[in-house]
Amino acid sequence: MKNVSRLIALVIGSSLPLLSTAGQWEGPLNGIVDKAIVQEYKSYTASALTLKESVDSLCKAPSQNTLNTAQNAFKANALDWQEVQWLNFGPVTYFMRYFAFEYWPDKKGITQRQLRTLANGNPAVMDAPKFWTSASIAVRGLTALESLLYHPDFQPLTSATHCDLLIRVAAHHFDSAQAVAEQWHSSSAQDWVFNEEGSDFDPEYVAFEQFLQQWLEHMSAVKDAKLETPIGYNSRVNLKLAEFHRSSLSLESIQTNLKSYRTIYHAGSPSLYEIAKKKEPALAEKFNQQLEQNVDIVSQLPRNFFHRDLNKDERIALAKPLVESISKSQSELTNLVTRLGFQIGFNSRDGD
Amino acid sequence: MLTRRSFLALGGMVATAPSWGALLSTNTDNQVYGSAFSKSKQEHFFGLFNEQGDILWTMPLAARAHAPVVHPHDAIVGIVARRPGFFIDFFDASSHQLIKQIKPTKEHHFYGHALFTQDGAHLITQENHYPSGQGKIFVRQWPSGEVLHVFNSNGIGPHESVFLNDQVLVIANGGLMTRPDADRKILNLDTMQPNVTYLSLVDGHVIHSVKHDDALHQLSIRHLDVNPQGVVALGFQYQGELWEQVPLIGLSSIHNDSIDYLTMPEAIRTRFKQYCGSVCFDSSGEILAISTPRGGLVAYWHIASKQFLGVDNCRDVCGLVATGRAHEFFVTNGLGAQLKTNPVQNTIALVKTHAGYHWDNHFRVVNS
Repeated sequence: MKNVSRLIALVIGSSLPLLSTAGQWEGPLNGIVDKAIVQEYKSYTASALTLKESVDSLCKAPSQNTLNTAQNAFKANALDWQEVQWLNFGPVTYFMRYFAFEYWPDKKGITQRQLRTLANGNPAVMDAPKFWTSASIAVRGLTALESLLYHPDFQPLTSATHCDLLIRVAAHHFDSAQAVAEQWHSSSAQDWVFNEEGSDFDPEYVAFEQFLQQWLEHMSAVKDAKLETPIGYNSRVNLKLAEFHRSSLSLESIQTNLKSYRTIYHAGSPSLYEIAKKKEPALAEKFNQQLEQNVDIVSQLPRNFFHRDLNKDERIALAKPLVESISKSQSELTNLVTRLGFQIGFNSRDGD
Repeated sequence: MLTRRSFLALGGMVATAPSWGALLSTNTDNQVYGSAFSKSKQEHFFGLFNEQGDILWTMPLAARAHAPVVHPHDAIVGIVARRPGFFIDFFDASSHQLIKQIKPTKEHHFYGHALFTQDGAHLITQENHYPSGQGKIFVRQWPSGEVLHVFNSNGIGPHESVFLNDQVLVIANGGLMTRPDADRKILNLDTMQPNVTYLSLVDGHVIHSVKHDDALHQLSIRHLDVNPQGVVALGFQYQGELWEQVPLIGLSSIHNDSIDYLTMPEAIRTRFKQYCGSVCFDSSGEILAISTPRGGLVAYWHIASKQFLGVDNCRDVCGLVATGRAHEFFVTNGLGAQLKTNPVQNTIALVKTHAGYHWDNHFRVVNS
């Protein structure tokens, strides 16, 4: 008679705990935090302050000149955002700040609708103590600021109401950026991972794994949402779905993102690149070259890439090398970090 | 790949499988579990493990699989291929041999889940008739595999189903239209209408069906479980934007015309990233557990009070079953870990970690 003991006798394979990785990822983790997060949030906060101040100046003395200054400040701040956009982790997750910084893609025009409601309502509601932490994310950040500065429905040069709304959104946006920067300054990445059961739990490893996962997800977003979707690479063209299309920042945003990837790869001592170079030299170099190639290819796209003066076929032909290059980057990064011992989303990326 | 000759030879082995009782103790301390797992993108397996997390045996699979299906009496356990699935492999748990493979009929694929009727005489699968997109429920004779009935599932994308009783099947029609030649691309995002359907297994008629309000039409109803009181728990996967505030868990019953959405703290809800994995009641039916691999946690509710109890953090977690003990769950993740949790006693313990193993989405008790 067969019984449990027979099955137990057939136990196969040993059950080894995960090898300890304590300290192994300290270099790239701290390097990325310092160079790609803390420093970049500092820049983002500084340009958010400039934007706030230029909006204040615009509304004190409305003129085409002050509007231009505010729009330029907006552009600088939106591009600083592109440096940190890859990471939806840590302080930026509080109060939905990540999605509030940029409510995009806004397929249903919710930002405009809610801004109009706010503009037509009693401005005193925005003075309530918790108004901004509970307000719709559609009206709290860069997407709203872009609308107020560029959308024809809003006239900060002639409407005191619109200018008042612009001042309030810009002030809240600066406060949020500053709060995230301060929280990163006073905490480590390890503080933002959730502790798990198991003696081998290593917050440093888990935090770095989260960074890698976020980086991979951002690559997908750049390829799919920022590049392919608006130009109709696989379906219908809708250039209004391009990121920051009103301020004509769609292409520069992608360029900034792809440059930021080089920073991530090379930050720290040792950096991820340096560790990979020792353990998987061929893969490490191949991925490095792919990141360089991304930057080269995107820099060759014409400035009018997202403008209406190109047709769909022209845009797709121009985009194809970049789409393929980013796809290769995704595969190579996945392969590389898998070889380095990370397990990125077996179930979480399955989608079923 | 099985040849026709070897396949027919395997068919004869089905009749020789011993009962679970003869093979294994049904003592709750000696439960055995079945799960698919992978070691890499190319290496896929099915295996059994015990309460202590020890792996008892494994078998290679041709492709990644999704959920096991366990015969109620004979020591036979199957594993359903991942969507779009084109095989269910059945193994004799005593000899560890592949004894049968069932494939979908022409122009159909499996969704990753299947179940046996309580008498063990019939196998039920959820399938996609991909030329039309219509969801189908196939009832096959066991062990012959002969198709006895093909019912409309009353929707698109019937991912998982459970028995309310011997005659009523509860189906999670996820609403997503896909085709195997278009990978997993969703072809009907703007028009999808998921529902939960209570289907008569006697004649295939729809006894009851419930859907979300139109504003939530992208809230795919994907996984479900039923407790002894007939409460059906539903786990959703939202196809809209990550930032939208939508319910992710619901309760249904054959007597209610609407879904009763369970709440949780917003900070926890956002961690789900709009995605529920497995849905599982504990053995008493009092506690509901929902895993979210994207959120890296398992969340718990007390069903009678609908009160949210808390979470256990666990990266890439998905597999979830009730052990034989009230309020206790066995949990697996994509990092090879097996854990026991009890949200009432607020305990969680790592049972074992199998380095290099990725436990797949769902696992099952094979000798309950």
